[in-house]
Amino acid sequence: MIKNKLLFTLVLSLLTAAGVLSAPAAGADKGNKSPAQPPITGLTAADMPYDVGGTVLLAWDALASVPPGTVYQVFVSSLETGGWIKAGDYPADGVKPSSEIELPFWAWRGSKTRSALRVEVGELFAYKVTTERKSALCLALEKSSLLRAILSRLQGQGLFGGAGKPEPYTRVIEYKDGIPLNFKVVAELAGKQATAVQVKGSTASNWFRLDRLNNLLLLIVIVIVFFWAVSHAKRKGLFIRRIAGLDAIDEAIGRATEMGKPIYYVPGIGGMSGISTIASSFILGEVSQKVAQYDSQIKVPHYDPIVMTVCKEVVKQAFLEAGRPDSYRDDINFFVSQDQFSYAASVDGMISREKPAAVFFMGYFMAESLLLAEVGATSGAIQIAGTDVESQLPFFFTACDYTLIGEELYAAGAYLSKEPMLLSALKVQDFGKLLVMVSVFFGIILVAVGAKLHWDPFIEVILNLFKAY
Amino acid sequence: MKLIKKQIPLAIVLVFGVLTLVSYYVPHKLSVDYIETMNKWENIVAAFAFLLGLVSLFFSHYYKIKRKADGWGYSLFVYVGFLAMVIPAFIWHGKQTSELGMTSLGWAFRYIYNALSASMFAVLAFYIVSTAYRSFRIKSAQAFVLFVAAFILILGKVPLGQIIWDSVLGWTGQGVDQVIEWIMGVPAVAGKRGIMIGIAIGAIVTSFKIIFGIEKQYMGKD
Amino acid sequence: MLKEKLEKFFKIDRRCIFLVLAVVLFAPIMKPLGLPNKTIARDTRNAYEFMDKLPAGSFVLFSLDYDPSTRPELHPQAIAMIRHAFKKNLRVGVVTFIAGSTGLIEQIFQTVPGEYNKVNGADYVIFPYMANPVAVMTQMASDLYGIYDKDQDGKDAKTLPVMQGIKNYKNMSLIICITGTAMLDYWVAYVGDKFTVPVAGGVTAISQPGYGPYLQTGQLKGLIGGMKGAAEYESLIQAPGKGTSGIDSLNLGHVLVLLLILTANIILLIIKYL
Repeated sequence: MIKNKLLFTLVLSLLTAAGVLSAPAAGADKGNKSPAQPPITGLTAADMPYDVGGTVLLAWDALASVPPGTVYQVFVSSLETGGWIKAGDYPADGVKPSSEIELPFWAWRGSKTRSALRVEVGELFAYKVTTERKSALCLALEKSSLLRAILSRLQGQGLFGGAGKPEPYTRVIEYKDGIPLNFKVVAELAGKQATAVQVKGSTASNWFRLDRLNNLLLLIVIVIVFFWAVSHAKRKGLFIRRIAGLDAIDEAIGRATEMGKPIYYVPGIGGMSGISTIASSFILGEVSQKVAQYDSQIKVPHYDPIVMTVCKEVVKQAFLEAGRPDSYRDDINFFVSQDQFSYAASVDGMISREKPAAVFFMGYFMAESLLLAEVGATSGAIQIAGTDVESQLPFFFTACDYTLIGEELYAAGAYLSKEPMLLSALKVQDFGKLLVMVSVFFGIILVAVGAKLHWDPFIEVILNLFKAY
Repeated sequence: MKLIKKQIPLAIVLVFGVLTLVSYYVPHKLSVDYIETMNKWENIVAAFAFLLGLVSLFFSHYYKIKRKADGWGYSLFVYVGFLAMVIPAFIWHGKQTSELGMTSLGWAFRYIYNALSASMFAVLAFYIVSTAYRSFRIKSAQAFVLFVAAFILILGKVPLGQIIWDSVLGWTGQGVDQVIEWIMGVPAVAGKRGIMIGIAIGAIVTSFKIIFGIEKQYMGKD
Repeated sequence: MLKEKLEKFFKIDRRCIFLVLAVVLFAPIMKPLGLPNKTIARDTRNAYEFMDKLPAGSFVLFSLDYDPSTRPELHPQAIAMIRHAFKKNLRVGVVTFIAGSTGLIEQIFQTVPGEYNKVNGADYVIFPYMANPVAVMTQMASDLYGIYDKDQDGKDAKTLPVMQGIKNYKNMSLIICITGTAMLDYWVAYVGDKFTVPVAGGVTAISQPGYGPYLQTGQLKGLIGGMKGAAEYESLIQAPGKGTSGIDSLNLGHVLVLLLILTANIILLIIKYL
């Protein structure tokens, strides 16, 4: 009974609200007598989930047919009446059912019978304020009469004209999530507007991307496997397949020592944030340690100053460990140019003049790969290359004696140092590959079977599971 | 010493590595602001690194000239080239053209830098041709497959090749475009995806090794 | 006897090959042969159609990241795509992460906008060079004025008519990256995928095959490859330029490579089996 009463009051209040509200909107209604189309029903305004904030998701009951050319006008206000700001015009053919919002099934339940519209309000409520900013001098002057006197005397002599005066300062007051807002949607067709509908809602800055749960779970699994592998590292020896390119390092350095010629180590054109460059610095450490032991010469031309600084440290440490700190010189690592082809030209020049016995290309390489490797090959050097840029691998294969492919480059640090912790981390890499292989294999079968049997929701679930959001 | 050289840097790597990782799952404004701040910091550090490079470049060439090392004459060009580009850039505020026409910076850019860079890249074409001639040999069955694929691809890439294909193999009803699309879309992509996935997994594990301080050779060994 | 003679061919001085190639490339530039460029690659057409379907007034961001070294291949692509954008009355924004490309951008915008009566600030905007691309790309996702508060000439970017209603990727209809570096990969990985904005690209012929996977999955809406791609795009917008004029050299160069590979292998076969 009470329920019914409540419902009645609710409907009544909604109706009156709609009546009152349609008044201002109807101010614009030229053809209210013959509305072009039925008004919107069941309007809701909810926060757009899993976003940074400032966006609201308006939804209403989808109409069976919307006349072509219909435009939805959306207004926002922080007041219940008046103060409406137009958030935008949205052509009806661009408004999709809420089930078409690209979110996975565990994070979103859309409906085909509800139309949904994302409206950004953050920008609408941001505004500029111009105030006066007081400098430190300004504040000091307010406190000290002595300072005031000195400054006014100086200014009397035409010095420090504007000093000590507050300056105008404009700052942007940003929209804050959580403010209750009112939304109004009007459907318009050829200048005729249907009755406006109003609803309350607010936006929020969310704390978790539930849609990325699949990604997070995978991450957690890999982290667990990673720590398990690393903590069980020292128990027994681990088999690691031979990598010919890394075994050849000794041979190359030995040859250089015999010939009395230098070794060039080219770390490529990547920055220090690149994984291949980091891997390259590991290998440089091992190579330069051997160079120090054999008392050979090494030269490392650089493209990136930060990489150079890191490599300096690595080489210095390697010489120290080999017990030859006296052989270390600061100009082993030197900067050449941060222009790709200037770098290539310069390194090519050095290689063709000095005719090194061995050249290493380890790291990130682009179009200069063949320019470098071909010159090295014609100068007769033994060449070992390694990169994770697949498009450059063919060039290294043809011009170098040994080439490390992507992961081999990453594994090189572990392979050369034989440190059990690093070796066991390679296990994680294998586990990852196994996981991918199994998923690809079963994924293909399941999707194919699903498609054959027309299990659309089932396919949806599988595709959702493997998609990045 | 160990604290400053090892433990503090490792702690910084751990904290910021984990925070950046977490920010991928946290859409909140705080996390967005954090990423923005980090980006700005990175930009500032990168800008200072330019200076570092310049100093290193100048010193290494200065010592070469001082020692009269082999080819020290080339080192002089480092300074000449630097000044020749930087002074006009200062004078004209980095503008290549002014009301009076092309500035000296514009001239240097267009007729020196442009020409030199383009020649360097153009040399690549010559190297590719000579490498292709020397190393594209059919020595095994696999090499034969590779050869056929490459042959079709090169042929189909240019209009003249397409005309040749049409006149010789037109009767098959298969355009060279379709064959190329298949080669590029099926076997080539399959191979590339395999390598990409392997590299991506390797990158993830290497990142963990760095974030959790297991691989720390880049800081110099213990 | 014959074998020994043939084996000499393998040890031929590579400078001889260089010379032949130089002649083959140079001759048609001096005296064009007018070979036809009849087919248009699917990826070039896709790029063209995507841009062609954008409504007038849409904002297209060009990331022109190539320096003079790759200019012969990429400059015609950039010019053709910008011409197309202007022809369709799209708004154009230009950014770059390669210092060497600022001069090339200046060269494009000295001539191309004039052909379509486009005005700096009202129809297009050029932003200054920025280092550290990934950081800038990430920043532009929330508020591009956080990085680009001023345009290249020091004018307040936010107040320019061309920037009205543009704050981040959500307001952009397409991103086009023309580059000889890995910049296109960054745009795909850090922007296209993360913020669901369409990305198309133009790359050198040498790196074109590497983008197959992105094209298949739709992470790239289209791709122009090398000088041939530029020529194709020029023919699509019916404005022949530098790309079209380079096609003759390209044709002969490719045929020469084929002949060389064939000769090398025929010689190899003769040595092996005769």
